[in-house]
Amino acid sequence: MTTRADAGARLLRLLAVLTWLARQGRATVSELSERFGLDADELIADLELAACCGLPPYSPDQLMEIIVDDQEVIADLGTELARPRRLTAAEGFALAASARAILAVPGADPDGALGRAVAKLEAVLGGRGLLRVDLREPAHLAVIREASDAGRQLELHYYSASSDRESTRIVDPVSVRLIEGHWYLDGYCHNVAGMRRFRVDRVSEAALTGEPAAHHGNGDAPGPGEEAAPSSEAFVPGPEATVAHLAVDGDAVWITEALLNSSSEPLADGRTGVTLAVASTVWFGRLLLRLGPHAEVLDPPELAETGRQAARQLLARYRGGAPN
Amino acid sequence: MGPSGPRVAPPTLSPMVDRLERLTDLVLVLLRDNRPKSLREIASEVPGYPAQEGEARRQAFERDKRTLRDGGIEVTAVPIDGPEQVGYVIRPEDYYLPDLDLAADEQAALNLAVAGVHLGDPSGRDALWRLGLPASAGARPVAELPALPALPVLHGALRARATVSFDYRGERRRVDPAQLRFHGGWWYLVGHDLDRAAPRTFRVDRMDGDASAGAPGSAVLPDGFDPDAALPDVPWRIGEGALVTVAVHVDAALAGLVLDEVGESALERRHDDGSVVLHLEVTNIAALRSWLFELGDHAEVIGPDEVRAGVVSWLEAVAGPA
Repeated sequence: MTTRADAGARLLRLLAVLTWLARQGRATVSELSERFGLDADELIADLELAACCGLPPYSPDQLMEIIVDDQEVIADLGTELARPRRLTAAEGFALAASARAILAVPGADPDGALGRAVAKLEAVLGGRGLLRVDLREPAHLAVIREASDAGRQLELHYYSASSDRESTRIVDPVSVRLIEGHWYLDGYCHNVAGMRRFRVDRVSEAALTGEPAAHHGNGDAPGPGEEAAPSSEAFVPGPEATVAHLAVDGDAVWITEALLNSSSEPLADGRTGVTLAVASTVWFGRLLLRLGPHAEVLDPPELAETGRQAARQLLARYRGGAPN
Repeated sequence: MGPSGPRVAPPTLSPMVDRLERLTDLVLVLLRDNRPKSLREIASEVPGYPAQEGEARRQAFERDKRTLRDGGIEVTAVPIDGPEQVGYVIRPEDYYLPDLDLAADEQAALNLAVAGVHLGDPSGRDALWRLGLPASAGARPVAELPALPALPVLHGALRARATVSFDYRGERRRVDPAQLRFHGGWWYLVGHDLDRAAPRTFRVDRMDGDASAGAPGSAVLPDGFDPDAALPDVPWRIGEGALVTVAVHVDAALAGLVLDEVGESALERRHDDGSVVLHLEVTNIAALRSWLFELGDHAEVIGPDEVRAGVVSWLEAVAGPA
């Protein structure tokens, strides 16, 4: 019975379902399972178990009144369960952080429904002004978001850090998201005939072409809740990506937080091993410059040379004398 | 499957009682009567505990108490009359959420917010369950913020006005917290450092091990403490180093993008070839270096000499022997 989730987690889930049922009185099984993200069998099993719970002497009048058939749940649970439980620290934080993040998205209305909801939450739970989310607003974010929302095609002047080149791209936007502090546009790039991810703050010009964005839903576009196929600009999974292994010391472990699609493990010598996918040697060379003497490329050897080359190239510039 | 109405639980204590059932009954029994109950009373009212009084029963109860506490349900022990002397109760104020009185459009907005932000764990969705709000399935996330285990602890400490302590750069720090802030891709704690008697800003991902919160009300911020002013906009101002003005040359290819980022106020001069010279006020050379190297060989430190020399020796260390 308890193999699917541990008893504590199931209890919290069940209490949440019962709280909601206590207020509603009745609900269809499909509505409940959708609302709480449970499959119908799990839900019915837990509700049937709850129907055996109650107060001593556990005679029918002291049990929770829950009737389950294959379509509908009918419940009479009294007022105690109808009041929601307090939030845990993690839940309170998640709610506040999510709401603050959405309010920080450029264009959000601070006096709208979400702003009022947050004010009520903070008034009751404490925390007014204690949590702040700053989201950058790159120059062309507004037009890119509008194009994405309206399904319009874009022409972008874009500086790509992976190729170290600026180019003009025709892009059908799919989504605009903030990931780890940067805004990204995911879209179908006509120049390369495939899904690409663009950092919005590297766009120097953006304009509508006047064409609608075509749908390229051939499995390339990320579905709801899935990770986007191009998980970062530098990491486009594909045959061209190389897996690199680094050893970093305490001054460089920040990359395990900063890089998407990296994994880490402690090494015997006290350093941290980091595994990441490298699709661009330009990008990887710059990463190694940032890590400096605090990182060592363990494998493959040709990527170890990438960092040395990037450093020598930049040193040559410094040895040419300072510009004025 | 046909209708299955309320079923009568076995009247005798069965060792096969599901743990979920025991936990659910325990919550109802401790909550509904609103008076402390001894363990003997609890075991007689909640099916599933060992029939014999003794260590096994106490261990089973302690385990259930821990499970409830981990889920945020606090079982309080209080002195009672009688041979066992200790009774247990779930206090309503510890269990119930105060009434938030959310209007329908406010509930919907909270829902969309939680669906729109990925925090790396399901706490936001759990919070919605708690509020009795529907989970929005299928909404596309707008933002992903890093989830760190210290964040709920720090947020709880802020709400309780509690001093926090944590290990940071090899030192124990004691801080009266003022604000938790997501900025430039990182979570920061802004507060008053008790040992340095000054405002300080800490990267939450660089805290080592667990953060711990002191007693509620233990934190007292100095009058007029302004957390918004304590965290600068650019990473190279977040640091405790001496202030130095660094001149940086950025070539034409990236001059426009970089000016968008740092602002026109940093512009010192513009050359005919489209390149620019910026004057940046820096208290954190390491952060400046990291930002600079992201620009590859499109940017170069002009001066002062010691900062330029520092960049050169860093690059020499990476370049290795010629």
